Amino acid sequence: MAERSFAAEVEDLKLGSGEVFRGEGILAVTKALLQSGVSYVGGYQGAPISHLMDVLADAQDILSSLGVHFEASASEAAAAAMLAASVNHPLRGAVTWKSTVGTNVASDALANVASSGVRGGALIIVGEDYGEGSSIMQERSHAFAMKSQMWLLDPRPNLESIVAMVHRGFELSEASNTPVMLELRIRACHLYGSFVAKDNVRPAYGLKDAMENPTRDYSRVVLPPSNFVHEIEKIDKRWPAAVDFVKKFRLNEFLGGKSGDIGIIVQGGLYNTLNRAMELAGVADAFGRTQIPIYCLNVTYPLIEDEVRGFCLDKRAVLLIEEGQPEYIEQAINSILRNADIQAKIFGKEVLPRAGEYTSGVVLEGLRGFIKMHAPQLSNERAASKPDIVGPDLTKIVPQRPAGFCTGCPERPVFTAMKLVEKEIGKFHVSCDIGCHLFSILPPFDIGNTTMGYGLGWAGASAFGADARRRTVAVMGDGGFWHNGLTSGVGNAVFNKSDNVLVIIDNGYSAATGGQDILSSRAENRTKSTNNPIAAAVRGVGVKWVEEVHTYDVGRMKRVLKDAMTTTLKGPKIIIAQAECMLNRQRREKPQRDKAIREGRRVVRARYGVDPDTCTGDHSCIRLSGCPSLTIKDNPDPLRDDPVAYVNNDCVGCGVCGENAHAAVLCPSFYRAELIYNPSGADKFLWRLRCAIIGFFQRAADRRRMRFSFGEGS
Amino acid sequence: MSARPVRIAVMALGGQGGGVLAEWIVKAGERAGYVAQSTSVPGVAQRTGATIYYVELFPQAEIDSVGASPILALMPAPGDVDIVIAAELMEAGRALNRGFVTSATTLIASTHRIFAIGEKIAMSDGRQDAQAVRQAVEAAAGRGIWFDMERAAEESGAVISAVMFGALAGSGATPIPRAAFEETIRSAGRAVERNLTGFASGFDASMSETNAFASTQNKAARSAPQPAPAVAPLLTRVGDLPANAQAMAREGLKRVVDFQDPRYGSVYLDRLEEIASVDRGAGGETRRFALTAAVAKYLALAMAYDDVVRVADLKTRSSRFVRFREDVRAADGQIVRVWEYMHPRLEEACDLLPPALARSILSTSAARKIFDAVFGKGRRVATTNLSGFFLLNALASLKFLRRGGLRFDVENERTVRWLELVKANAAGDYALACEIASLQRLIKGYGETHERGLANYRLIIAALDQVKAAPSPAQALARLRDSALKDEDGVALRAALSKLGGNSAVAAA
Repeated sequence: MAERSFAAEVEDLKLGSGEVFRGEGILAVTKALLQSGVSYVGGYQGAPISHLMDVLADAQDILSSLGVHFEASASEAAAAAMLAASVNHPLRGAVTWKSTVGTNVASDALANVASSGVRGGALIIVGEDYGEGSSIMQERSHAFAMKSQMWLLDPRPNLESIVAMVHRGFELSEASNTPVMLELRIRACHLYGSFVAKDNVRPAYGLKDAMENPTRDYSRVVLPPSNFVHEIEKIDKRWPAAVDFVKKFRLNEFLGGKSGDIGIIVQGGLYNTLNRAMELAGVADAFGRTQIPIYCLNVTYPLIEDEVRGFCLDKRAVLLIEEGQPEYIEQAINSILRNADIQAKIFGKEVLPRAGEYTSGVVLEGLRGFIKMHAPQLSNERAASKPDIVGPDLTKIVPQRPAGFCTGCPERPVFTAMKLVEKEIGKFHVSCDIGCHLFSILPPFDIGNTTMGYGLGWAGASAFGADARRRTVAVMGDGGFWHNGLTSGVGNAVFNKSDNVLVIIDNGYSAATGGQDILSSRAENRTKSTNNPIAAAVRGVGVKWVEEVHTYDVGRMKRVLKDAMTTTLKGPKIIIAQAECMLNRQRREKPQRDKAIREGRRVVRARYGVDPDTCTGDHSCIRLSGCPSLTIKDNPDPLRDDPVAYVNNDCVGCGVCGENAHAAVLCPSFYRAELIYNPSGADKFLWRLRCAIIGFFQRAADRRRMRFSFGEGS
Repeated sequence: MSARPVRIAVMALGGQGGGVLAEWIVKAGERAGYVAQSTSVPGVAQRTGATIYYVELFPQAEIDSVGASPILALMPAPGDVDIVIAAELMEAGRALNRGFVTSATTLIASTHRIFAIGEKIAMSDGRQDAQAVRQAVEAAAGRGIWFDMERAAEESGAVISAVMFGALAGSGATPIPRAAFEETIRSAGRAVERNLTGFASGFDASMSETNAFASTQNKAARSAPQPAPAVAPLLTRVGDLPANAQAMAREGLKRVVDFQDPRYGSVYLDRLEEIASVDRGAGGETRRFALTAAVAKYLALAMAYDDVVRVADLKTRSSRFVRFREDVRAADGQIVRVWEYMHPRLEEACDLLPPALARSILSTSAARKIFDAVFGKGRRVATTNLSGFFLLNALASLKFLRRGGLRFDVENERTVRWLELVKANAAGDYALACEIASLQRLIKGYGETHERGLANYRLIIAALDQVKAAPSPAQALARLRDSALKDEDGVALRAALSKLGGNSAVAAA
């Protein structure tokens, strides 16, 4: 079960012609796929496209009624390989993932399908995780389109344009026998807007037809001599066909003024940002009306040379808004203009930053510079003045808020244990992976050396095969394990006789991407096979030293980890750290608990607390935990200087802070409280008895203290 | 100037419900005849990071009259945000840093703090200056609406988004009528009544534009009974101390008497009076008797050290039973059971034994082995059960053994030496003496934490001669103290000591 239920959104997928769809960008794409008569959809979850996967996972009934096969693929490579179905058959298919990381993984299959070429439309929806909010290396998907010669769509970020481009994307793919990439930036994926829906389409020729009528075409297989033919085909046939299609259906747009000696070329996805900057510079209004001619590239690869030449022919200077680097478009346009001997000068990275996200502020500054230099007559008061931002610099005071483990997260105690083991045996090399567990590299744990990609945690430590006195530790999530870590990490370590340690975080979900089910999930899933244990898999490929540990038992976790690090036994060692992702567990259990309480059933809820009069304000407990609900507050004791630890009301009662206090011999301030709802008769009887007796002794103690009272009633 | 969208930025932390608020604003806008667009970049920020949700509302009437769709932005532009809603105080500061708060901006911010991890992990007080942020943001914003939205949410049982939603409605900064806001909450269909209550509380607080939740500290003043006869003479002695030190001395005395008895309180006052006389002799009057005040505070902490007896005592008090019920938000009459996490070590167990016996036990490895076998994993003590309560109660009653025990011996000796150092330096360098007094701050906590603090304290004391040779000894000592509170491994302290030329001290330790 994913983090969110998409039952309501699934209903939106059923909308018919003329009805208005309101919702998120990535869900609009999902609807557009169904409207396009897609036969199969696959992908690998990850921000910002997780919701596409999640909503389809919840939409089995609609999918089967339309004859659509949906796969939650094992990896992006597996998803990309699905597109093979469109090589021989007129089947439309779409795959999706987070880019560029997913595209990296997928690129083997993508290069193959791009070489073979497709009969049915093949669409690759990439969620471009670039700029603010991104969690990955900052690169461009553009390069992948260029190297494999796939076409790259970058539509204007409004739902109408995005949906239209999904439809056109399939047509373009079929017209040019080439897979097409549709690039959506994070904000466009999460964009709430509306568009007028069409009916969903059941493909005329479906998967069943294809399976029952296999067709073979040797020339479509990437093997000599066809591979050489494919390359020539790309240049001689597919590329010109694509250019013709883009021109014919005007996928790129000419907006703004019709003429003038300056102009702007912009990637479609940045058009709204450009227009806002132009508004603020006083050269456009909220409806995009402007005197300056704009050439909006909804197709950023290939460039349509005629259109570029035509646009630039009468211009002196052209501002190019191209986000990211290297500046492939700028280079290509300059090459086109040089070959055509057109003198318009392109201002791209000369007036805009070479690297980083093109935010409104950045584009505005570049635009102002460009106008000042080349169209001072357009410069008005608004354009000249900077926004009136006053106030002192607070950047040193406002604290950084790095992402961290959620309240009650079961991964936290794994790293607490690691920190405690390091205190005993010294620091060791820790190779990290991708997933929530990567937050270990941030405060308060500061554990981790490198991360080499999803599932590659152990492979990232594989060079350390020397006969050293200290072993290395690698960390891998269950998501990464099934993505490829079983082979690249575990199989690799067994085969190469590694003597190092792997900790697999087995929390039951692909948690970081939104809590999707995976092979080893404990939940029953109607359409997927779950409950395939990781321990069985690693033993199956030959690991002998395997320990399964419940993560919240910090003491045992620490002992097992220390044992793995110090045992004289040679060979790869795997600790499977198990406990359900707390975010998902709460999502499941909290409504059940609330319901039980409402229905009058006996419920015991645990949570933790800190006594402020025994807490001395050292915060060791926080440095070993980092739980958001374990925080600080003013010290009520006038004699003490430092704030005391405090457990706020978000506590879910996981118990790690108490376990830490034990394992690290911290302090006696932590207590576990159990609140009983709808107590039984026995509960009430015992409680009254205890209250009476304890109260008697407490009152006696109070009276004794009154003998030394300072007269404040306290 | 043609029509422009209403531009609203929501600054929130992952998990705070900023997404829900953005969604509600969109729906309310649509109800009121606006085309709405919202975006966000949640990503990993969903896991406790800071993130921004951005909404634009454009009047449908304007769209109809122009006959075209507006081009709405996907992110706030610096200097171009109408309304900033900050779900936490520092996030208002972040909005200012990002250029979203200007004289044209209506700022709606919660005054509560959610401390960042960097503020929480400090070994002392790592909290940032929230008031400086509030002042700066208040000065920059055209209009500011501040109140504790978290508290309002808690009191109404609503999510904080509902309170922020109410505050937005009450601010009148959007053209959306109240009914459209409320209808949005109703049609969302979740916890409707509670969220409407939260909405109303946010609305009212926003309307009044004052701090509706200003701390109401005027709790019913209790009658002030006379001090007990056993402590009255001691309190008289406090009255003879320098005026500036009296308040702290009174607190300190109270702590020491509570720790042991009035006789021990009398020892505290003897020592403090001695310091006061040294203070007077050292010209303390011109320095507002800072030395006496500092010693009043730290001497109490040194004398009322944290031992098992004191912990057991505090854990079993009736006032503590009242407090934990409040802390865990127990309903009236609800059954609450409590377990303590105790992990006594052999050292703590020997605290109360006569020094000679305690030392010989501590040096026997067999004793340690047996003790670790029993208590090695720590114990959970059920204080609300009779067995747990009486165990702790029995421990608390061992107070009478304290004075004859090893711990008392050790603490007392150290305290005396510390006071001697303070006195010896007061005449020569008053500021240095004050800093020596406040070194006691390093010694806190239990177990390893206590040992670490004590070790740092000793390292610094051992380097006192080098400190005195420094150009500004008091400042040098303060720097050492601060560096001891920088990291657990003592890296900063060692660096500071070696910078001071105190390598010999490090080697000796």
